[in-house]
This record gives sequence, C-alpha cells and structure tokens, in this order.
Amino acid sequence: MAVREDALNPPSFTLRQKLWQMHWLLILLLAATASVGFAMLYSAAGGNFEPWASRQMMRFGVGMAVLITVALIDIRLWLKYAYVFYLGTVALLVAVEFMGEVGKGAQRWLDLGYFGLQPSELMKIALVLALARYFHGTSIEDVRRIPHLFVPVLLIALPAALVLRQPDLGTALMLVITGAVIFFAAGVRIWKFVLVGIVTVAAAPIAWGFLRDYQKQRVLTFLNPENDPLGSGYHIIQSKIAFGSGGLFGKGFLQGTQSHLNFLPEMQTDFIFTMLAEEFGLAGGLALLGLYVVILIYGLAISVRCRTQFGRLVGIGVTATFFLYVFINMAMVMGLVPVVGVPLPLISYGGTAMLTLLFGFGLLMGTWIHRDVMVGRRGIGDDV
Amino acid sequence: MIASLMQGDLFDFARYRGGPTGRTAEALETGRSRLVVTGLVISMAFMALGWRVVDLTLFADRAEPRLARSVNPLAPVQERADIVDRNGIVIATSLPAVSLYVDPKHVMDVQETADKLIRVLPDLDRDKLEKRLSSRGRFVYLKRNLTPEQHYAVNRLGLPGIQFERGERRVYPQGRLLAHVLGVTDIDGRGTAGIERHFESKLTGGGAPLQLSIDLRIQAIAHEVLTNTVQEFSALGGTAIVMDANTSELVAMVSLPDFDPNRPVEMLGEAGFNRATKGVYEMGSTFKLLTAAMALDSGVVAISGGYDASKPMRVARFSITDYHAKNRWLSVPEILIYSSNIGAAKMALDVGTKAQQTYLGRLGLLRPSPVELPEVGHPLVPSPWREISTVTVSYGHGLSVSPVQLANAIATTVNGGIRRPTTLIKQQAPEGIPGARVFSPDTSAKMRGLMRLVVSRGTGKNAEKEADGYLIGGKTGTAEKIKASGGYSDKANIASFVGAFPIHAPRYVVCVVVDEPKGTKESFGYATGGWVAAPAVGRIVQRTAGIMGITPEFGMPHLAATRELPADANEITAALKPAALRDVENVSRQPEQVRAAE
Repeated sequence: MAVREDALNPPSFTLRQKLWQMHWLLILLLAATASVGFAMLYSAAGGNFEPWASRQMMRFGVGMAVLITVALIDIRLWLKYAYVFYLGTVALLVAVEFMGEVGKGAQRWLDLGYFGLQPSELMKIALVLALARYFHGTSIEDVRRIPHLFVPVLLIALPAALVLRQPDLGTALMLVITGAVIFFAAGVRIWKFVLVGIVTVAAAPIAWGFLRDYQKQRVLTFLNPENDPLGSGYHIIQSKIAFGSGGLFGKGFLQGTQSHLNFLPEMQTDFIFTMLAEEFGLAGGLALLGLYVVILIYGLAISVRCRTQFGRLVGIGVTATFFLYVFINMAMVMGLVPVVGVPLPLISYGGTAMLTLLFGFGLLMGTWIHRDVMVGRRGIGDDV
Repeated sequence: MIASLMQGDLFDFARYRGGPTGRTAEALETGRSRLVVTGLVISMAFMALGWRVVDLTLFADRAEPRLARSVNPLAPVQERADIVDRNGIVIATSLPAVSLYVDPKHVMDVQETADKLIRVLPDLDRDKLEKRLSSRGRFVYLKRNLTPEQHYAVNRLGLPGIQFERGERRVYPQGRLLAHVLGVTDIDGRGTAGIERHFESKLTGGGAPLQLSIDLRIQAIAHEVLTNTVQEFSALGGTAIVMDANTSELVAMVSLPDFDPNRPVEMLGEAGFNRATKGVYEMGSTFKLLTAAMALDSGVVAISGGYDASKPMRVARFSITDYHAKNRWLSVPEILIYSSNIGAAKMALDVGTKAQQTYLGRLGLLRPSPVELPEVGHPLVPSPWREISTVTVSYGHGLSVSPVQLANAIATTVNGGIRRPTTLIKQQAPEGIPGARVFSPDTSAKMRGLMRLVVSRGTGKNAEKEADGYLIGGKTGTAEKIKASGGYSDKANIASFVGAFPIHAPRYVVCVVVDEPKGTKESFGYATGGWVAAPAVGRIVQRTAGIMGITPEFGMPHLAATRELPADANEITAALKPAALRDVENVSRQPEQVRAAE
C-alpha cells in the first residue's frame, strides 16, 4: 500500500525503487525469445557457437544493459529531448546518403570504425518518441483539426523519404505504418485514415512506376513465386519446402536438411523462422508465435495502463514496431507478403535490430516504471 | 503462473478509471479504446500467421513448385497402335524416341551450351540454336528423335536446362510400298494423311493393332508391275488396284509416283496425290461393260440381240464414230469385243437416261467412294444430264470417277450383282459388309462370259498372253485426256484395263490405270489400254494367283478364243455360260474351297 500511495504522486523514485519497479517477467520473456534465437543460430552454424550464436549472445547482453539504462532514465527526460534525438537521427540518415556503405545494392550503413550503424533502425525509435511528444502536447480537439496534423505528417514523411532513397522499402513502410498506428492511438479521426487509404490505393499504379526494378520483381515474384523458381522466386519456394518438410514436430534440432544443405538462403538472418519450423515443425512455430503474442500483450497492456499520453503513445509505438518486425518477417518467409528483408526480432542474427528493439523495450519499461508520473507538456521542469 | 503474469497492477483494470478528469480524461479514453482496436487487429494478424504455419507444415504439397512440363521416365508412354496387313505383318509401328528440348530459363551460359551441343550434334544450326537457347518460353525443341548414341552423348554433357522428352517415332518398315494407303504422321505423331489420319482417334487410343485388308505380298507385286509399266511407257503415273470381288476389300492399292512415309517431305507435290482414290478420270471404254450390264439387266436387249453400227450416229450436234469401225450390224458380244461406241450409245439410249442414272447411282459412281481415306475424289457428274450425256457416259466420257470406284462397280458386275462398299479394313465376316443388289445373278453370269470374250478375242488379248494359264475377263479403256485449254487431246491418253479372275468364279478384280503412257517399239507405237494396261493386269494375275491359292488351268483356257463366235443366239448364250466357258465343276476348285484351304 505504501508503494501505491507514493506512486499516485511520485516526484521521483530512487534508483533502488526503480529497479524494484522493473517488469522482470517481461525481461524474462525477452530473454527466452532471444535464447530461441541462440539455439537456432547454433544450429545454423551446424552445431557451433561460432560464428553467430556467441556474438548474438554478446549483443543481447549489451542490449539488455541498454534496456535497463533507458528504462531507468526519467520518462520526462525522454520527452524533453525527443525532438533532439529525432533531429540527430535525421542528420545521420542524411549522412548515410553521402558517405554510407553500400551493401547488397543499398546504401544503409554508416561505418563508425568499430561497428556499422544503420540510422534507419534508430529512426524507428526516434520517430516514435517525436510523434509521442507532439501528440502529448496537443489537445484532443486539436488532434482532430487538420492543420495540426501537418507537423506530425512531416515528421513521418521526412525520414521515410530518406530511407526510401537508400533504397529500403521495408523500413520505409514500417516507419509509415508505425506513424499511422500512433496517429490512430492519438485519436485522429477514422475517416482520415479511410481517406488516406483510398488515396493510397488510387496512387498505387503511379507509385509502381517509381519502384526500382528489383522491387517490382519482388512484388511480381510474390504474386507467383513458381514463375521463377531459380531466380527471385527461389527464396520463397525453398522456404515453403522447408516448412512442408518440418511437418507436425519437425525433423529435430540440428536436423533440418533444407537449411543445412544450403538450400535455404540467409537462414541465420531473414529466413531463420523457416529453419525453426523445419527443425521443430508446427509445434515449434506455434510456440514461438505464442511467445511473441505474450510479449505483445504485455506491450499493449502497459500502454493501456499508462496514464500519460506520452507514455501511452511511446508504448504503443514500440509495440507496433515490434509487431511489424514479427509480422512482416513471418509473413514474408511464409509467402504471405513480398520479400522485403525484415529480420525476425530478437532471433535473427544482427546487431542493429537487436539494439533498436531492446532500446524500444527500454522505453516501454520506462513508461511502466513511470506509469503514474504526471508529465507536463515539455517534460521535466514544466509540471502541471 | 497466472499469478506471476499478474505481476504488479498491470491487469488491475479498476485502477485505469482513476486519474485526470475533463479533457485529458477524454483523450485518455479515446486512446484506450483505440488501443483495444489496435490489439484486435494485431490478434487477427497473428491468427493469419498461425493459420499459415499450420497450412505450410501440414499441407506441404501445395508448396512444391510445379513446372509447366516434367518428364517422368517411369511413366508408360502412350503408344500409337500398330497397323498390320491382312496376314498380321506389321506395316506401321511406333518406336520409343527421345527428343531434345531446352528450358531456356535454366540455361546458364548460352555460348557454352551451344558450343558443347554442336560438338555432339554437328548438324544443328548455330544461329538457330542460340536463338532457341535464349528464347522466352519454357519448352523449345532443339532436335527431334535422337539416336541412342546422340542421346547418350548429350546426356553426358550434363548441361543445365537441356532436357529430354520421351516420346515415340512412327516407323514404316515397308517404306514407300504402302505410301498412299498408310499416309503419314506429322512431327508430333498425329496422322495427317491416309489411314493414319482417317483412324487417328482409334490409333491414338492404343490397344490392338489396326488390321487392313491389304495383302503385303500382292501389294508388292502390284507395286513392282506398275512401276515397270510406268517406266516402260514413260507415263506420268498410274494406279493398280486389286480388290476382293465378293467383299470389296482392297487387297492391293498402288499409286505412282509415290513417296516414303518415313520422310513425309517427299509427299509434297505430285507424289502425295493418290490416283486410286483422289484422282477422277473419264474411264473410257471400260464403262461399256456397265452399259451392257444395264441393258441386259433391264431387258431392253437380249444377249443375242444387236445394233446397227454401219455408219456414224448423230446425237444433237455430235457425231459418234467407232475406233475399230466394222461398219455393220454388231451383236452385243461384238459391241464389247470391238469396243463399239455406236453400239454402246444405242444400248444406253434404249436403257434410258433415268434408268442409267439409277444404275450408276446404285453402283456408287455418282458419289465419292466410301473407302476409309481422307483423300477421296468427288466424281464429276454431267450437269445437266442431257441425252448426249447418256450417250457419252455409255462409253465412259462425260463422267469422271476414281479407279477404286470403277473397280468396285466391276466387282458388283461379276460377283452376282451385289454391291458392297469399298473398304481398306479386313472384314471378319466372310461375306464382308452387307451389300445391295444392283444386277440380277443372271446378268452377272452373262457379263462374266462377255468379259471373257473381250479378253480371249478382243482388245484385251494382251492380258491373256501375260496371264498364261489363268482365266481373265475384262475390258480395256483408252480415254483421251481433257486438255488444260479445253477439248480432248489426241496425244495424251488415260489407258486402263479392268478385269476379274478367275472369270468363271471371280475372286479378284484387278484394275490398272496409266496416265499419259507413250507408245514404244514393242507396243508398235500404241499407248492404248490394250497395249499398256492389259499386259500389266495379266502380269499381276500371273504372279499373284499362286499366292491367292488359285491354280492355273492349263489345257482348257483357250476354248472360247479358239472358236469362231457362234452366229446363233442360243449358241451364244450357251457358249457364255460359265460352265461352258470352263468345265469348272470338274476341273477347278470352287472359290469357297479355295478360301477354306487358305
């Protein structure tokens, strides 16, 4: 009860109190999911921790540290510096435009010497923060007025356009959709979404003309992968075969033939779910799906539980980002959407996505810890 | 577990009601309800993912790639049925064959693939090959019907995208011998001419071989004899037909020039033309047999009767003359022996136009032959059919029919008067396809006698000479060809002979028609039916009778020839009785016995 009274109007917590307030069960779920990833990377390397599993574990450790750090920082501080963070990330995106590394036909990386940085990943968090701050400071009546939507639309359009230039259609889409979810949660009228939807559908044929050849190819291949079984349809066909060979309970750990005989490309990154399904079958696939669902439920529940608009929107933004990672990747490897190159969160090998997600979950955790903190329009120093 | 999930007050929804009031509260309420909607959308998305996992893992076959065409080497090949002759000898069969094709999508390097293929198959054209290797389709033939050696060599190259299609190739072991009977199949094994085309659906159904009425041995003899005749007289071509007189089964059918069905390209042009069934000709004097049969059958003239042929006859604007003019009264046998146009014309006028048309129609001469071939010619029937038409048709002009139609009509005339449709298929019932009576048995008997007389005493003597020992009856025909410019040519003939043997109990009708023969020294410059076609028929009879189980009749054959023709009507009738022609009952076996002995 004492904690409760404090929580109703907590000027600030001590570090010890905050650690106590951490949602450790959520952290346990994240660790469990990441462990599934370690196991799959171990298998992908043919039963070795090298080269992927060990490095992935290290990254997860670093990511956890980032999560806790981010969670402990006062939520009002994040609100205060949201725009700064956003503008800094935009600057990085512009930098990529001029001096980025080219990998697999796209310019996405900044070489920072020790490690490569993908500003587009960072932007997923920065955009959530910036939009949350904007809507936090806007009354519900204003949200319903069109002029007040110019700024947030611009907040989305600017990075989306920069990312699209790299070109990275998948990330650009994720930014736009995440932004749309935050718009929705902030209370923008439904008819506006309907209108934008109609305009999008109408503009699709025009947009088709602006797509790069490989992007068109992917969409066409998605519509009929058997059309080109050795070309761009190869991934999806091999992936489907792997699913089929998995059956009910799979072939067993380390026993997947599609992956171990190298039929499956990129099995340690984008197509890792396929490998899981081949080795653990329907049961394994549904189990992982269940794990993700539980995490998403926590994310949504934390958002609902949050008393401040900022916290709620950050929560829903992070949850939506996480959901999009899961959905796009799984739907992609199962042939439900075109191949867009989105990793499976917490499982696919790769540092930037892992750090981005744990950073995001750090913010989610922060909103949980500070769920009952009253937040002013501009964060710390501007209390009601 | 549940309790631990409930850590903190996360799911204590009662708490959510507290907090700010007023506008802020409204915003929060909106936010909360929208979050619930978001949650619903997310759960629907996950249901879709879950369903998809179930679908892919448990209903796997849906995910297998399906190529437009795949070859299963174990699958049985659907074979086109064989064709055999009446004795079961294979005359058309299918052999397994491998064709080479490319799936251009899988070709890695067009240049390299072309290089290697040409090294193994040097007759491939490089430009064409490269074009095919880089085309857009998924199935392009490179070469059909590889030899096993070529198949092995190409397979050894192991080129991606280069594949084999198992199929079959039609083979005609007898080569050109049965060209116009069998016809040809195209590159995909579909019949495009002859029996192959007519029985396409039956043959592709597989199963039992198709048995033709053709006897390969007789076909070979007819082919050889006709080839020699055409060569000897430098003719454009010709046809030889041997038909079972009782069943109308075609036992041999040759048309020259011919082609090798194993190489269908030879079929283009003249060689592909089947003169036996597709060609229609004015048959000339052989038609006088039919005219006489009509006259005798309808009773307008008796066998002992006759007509005045002392001077040319005028019908409308035309004058009818005789080639071998006797300028006197001619008896019915004499009209045929001397091939009198005037006599035939007068008989036809007595029969009348209506009755003539009826008889010709019943003989099947006014409609295309029912023979089982796509290449069947339409008779050219006079239209309108005036009196002059009746006159000219009586000696074989003004009505064009195909040689098989003529052979069929003569078979009807000699077999007792029953017409059965011409067929190329071996008949199981001994009497063949049910027929219809055209002439009375008596007329038919008289006609056999008359035909015998023509050969023993008339224009058909050369047939008799060649067929030494066998009794032939028949009639020659020499028709002037119609010139391209219109009118008749006196240089270009259609020389024909149609006969039946053994004439006292006919089993076969033999018909030879030669197109534009040129006279030779041996024929004294003649290019007529008597000098060109009759000896050919004689030779065919002489060489095939043994195969057919018909014994020669030395000692008796020249009876009618050695005597002067009796003047008295009753004696003529008696002389023309089959028994009198030959004392058959005593000496030779009856057809039924022969058949039973085969």
